[in-house]
Amino acid sequence: MKLLMKLAWRNVLRNKRRTVLSGIAVGITLASLIFIDGIYIGMFDSMIRTATDSFLGQGQIHAAGFRDTFDVEKVINNSRDVMKSLGSEDLLTGFSERTVSTAMLSSAAGVNSVLLYGIDPEKERGMSMVDEAIREGEYLAPEDLGRIVIGSKAAETLEVETGDRLVITMAQAGTGELSQDMLRVAGIFHMGIREIDGGIAFVNIEKSRELLALGQEAHEIAVKFKNINDAGNRLLPIWKKYSQAGNEALGWRDLIPQLDGVMEMADLSTIITSSMVFCIVAVIIIHTLFMSLYERMFEFGVLRAIGTRPVSMSLIIFFEAASLSFFSILFGLGLGYIVMQIFSVYGINYTGIEFAGVTITELIYPVMTIRQFTFFPALVFVFSLVAAVYPAVFAARLTPAKAMQRSM
Amino acid sequence: MHEDVLKVQDVSRIYSTDGLKVNALRSVSLSIKGSEFTAIAGPSGSGKTTLLNIMSGLDTPTSGSVMLGGKPINTMKGSELSDFRRDHIGFIFQSYNLIPVLSVKENIEYIMLLQGIGEGERRTRVASILKQVGIEGMEDRLPRQLSGGQQQRVAVARAMVSNPDIILADEPTANLDSATGASLLDMMRELNEARGMTFVFSTHDTMIMDRARRLVILKDGKVAKDEVRK
Ligand SMILES: Nc1ncnc2c1ncn2[C@@H]1O[C@H](COP(=O)(O)OP(=O)(O)OP(=O)(O)O)[C@@H](O)[C@H]1O
Ligand SMILES: [Mg+2]
Repeated sequence: MKLLMKLAWRNVLRNKRRTVLSGIAVGITLASLIFIDGIYIGMFDSMIRTATDSFLGQGQIHAAGFRDTFDVEKVINNSRDVMKSLGSEDLLTGFSERTVSTAMLSSAAGVNSVLLYGIDPEKERGMSMVDEAIREGEYLAPEDLGRIVIGSKAAETLEVETGDRLVITMAQAGTGELSQDMLRVAGIFHMGIREIDGGIAFVNIEKSRELLALGQEAHEIAVKFKNINDAGNRLLPIWKKYSQAGNEALGWRDLIPQLDGVMEMADLSTIITSSMVFCIVAVIIIHTLFMSLYERMFEFGVLRAIGTRPVSMSLIIFFEAASLSFFSILFGLGLGYIVMQIFSVYGINYTGIEFAGVTITELIYPVMTIRQFTFFPALVFVFSLVAAVYPAVFAARLTPAKAMQRSM
Repeated sequence: MHEDVLKVQDVSRIYSTDGLKVNALRSVSLSIKGSEFTAIAGPSGSGKTTLLNIMSGLDTPTSGSVMLGGKPINTMKGSELSDFRRDHIGFIFQSYNLIPVLSVKENIEYIMLLQGIGEGERRTRVASILKQVGIEGMEDRLPRQLSGGQQQRVAVARAMVSNPDIILADEPTANLDSATGASLLDMMRELNEARGMTFVFSTHDTMIMDRARRLVILKDGKVAKDEVRK
């Protein structure tokens, strides 16, 4: 065994240029696999953050069924108790209650129907990016009940600027009677998500409660986690805990199912990409092994003639494949690490590209994971050995007389 | 007189390539006794290589049988045949005998390693055989650092070191100049005389044939002459 390893090892070293070239080729494929995976993860992290941080929140609590109808009467059950309990959750960094209702905004130039959110301006600062996204004017002040914040698209439709007046019309809870009020535009935000910029507006929650005749109730509580991965983990007990007494608690996967779908598709495309990468690896390995086998045909004939068993001949090939792929992997891991480091400093600029309804608004930084540096190289190694089966069987089947004849 | 070490009986070998049939051996029968020093000669294409390959189990006859040490090798296969060759036959080829990535010592040790012989035993055997073939002090060189004659001596050492029943050599001197070839043959003959090692080798060189004690001449795949000399 040691003898066969020695033979294989020295053969790998024998044609250094070929070994190095194949090693580089296999290494590059591994590095690109690592890199692509890192970019995917980075991109989706960014998309999830954009989608959830902008306004949605990473998770939400509502009365069950509220999201289907936006029925003003479906307020969160026991909202006081729920809020008190949320205040002591370790996983969360914050939460904020909202009212959600459809409303009609009208100006001299036109009308625009929006989903009107009544928010607590202070709590909402930490929850969403409405405050950061203000492009014109200013964000709502805590005691400021007479003003409204609208999105850039809505401002375009209504042809209003900050300081202009809008009439808001909405239906009250219970009676269904319409209530109207005059509000001034405090600020105009732009988030890069079309539906939000055109279809959402914010007022102080005290104002919306008054207009909707809601008392102290709320329709929605948005929550933010310390670790965003927890928000995507459907298995955490926190979801069950708040999905009780007629309420439901959902994470972003359920709130934005299309994003979840895209991620699943990305998983699939990672599988396809890696299969292609592994095919390349297999071809390189098979080619390299056969080249060196043909070159040494006579030698293999001699080895067989003087008593090396067929199985041992295969082992020599497997050891060669193993040492070749071992070096390729070392090189690939090194290269992958360096490339990841470089791009995690400079980032990749995909800003402005829209994907699954989410516009990428920041530089993408590849994310390194343990999987990339353990599972991927392990797969490359296994694939190399699988690829070596063909040349190994060929070597085992060589008859010494033929082998020695072929090379003369 | 010694026992038959190798017995070739009624062996024919027909090569068929592209529908063309070549009768490389036609009903050859031949016995090799222990401690013989036999040359197989004959013109090119007369079947020398084919016969040696069949005698050593590297090739199988189309018909007939080959017995080595009382065992029929023409029916053996796979690992059994490999192990049999390893333990009972020494090989010397025309050239490129040695594994280029292994040193002289490692080349000689190869078969003993396959046999699982311990390190101490290997070392004494290598040292003694190196002396016998006259290449002491070169054990750590690689084959390409040796002359053709030295390489063939190492090949003889490798073939002998595991004490096989017979050593088969297909034109061992063909790639050497005549003086070097003659001295290799002299060395083989000395080993034959000193250790009783059985050799069968092929050649077309008359000077080499003259050093054999038994001369078998093949012609068109048949034994044309089989004579014992001095
Ligand atoms: N693999 C093969 N396929 C077809 N024909 C073959 C094959 N090997 C040998 N022959 C033919 O068989 C005959 C005997 O060949 P062999 O190699 O045994 O002769 P040889 O005596 O060793 O010749 P040389 O002195 O040239 O080495 C020749 O006619 C040769 O062409
Ligand atoms: Mg020949």
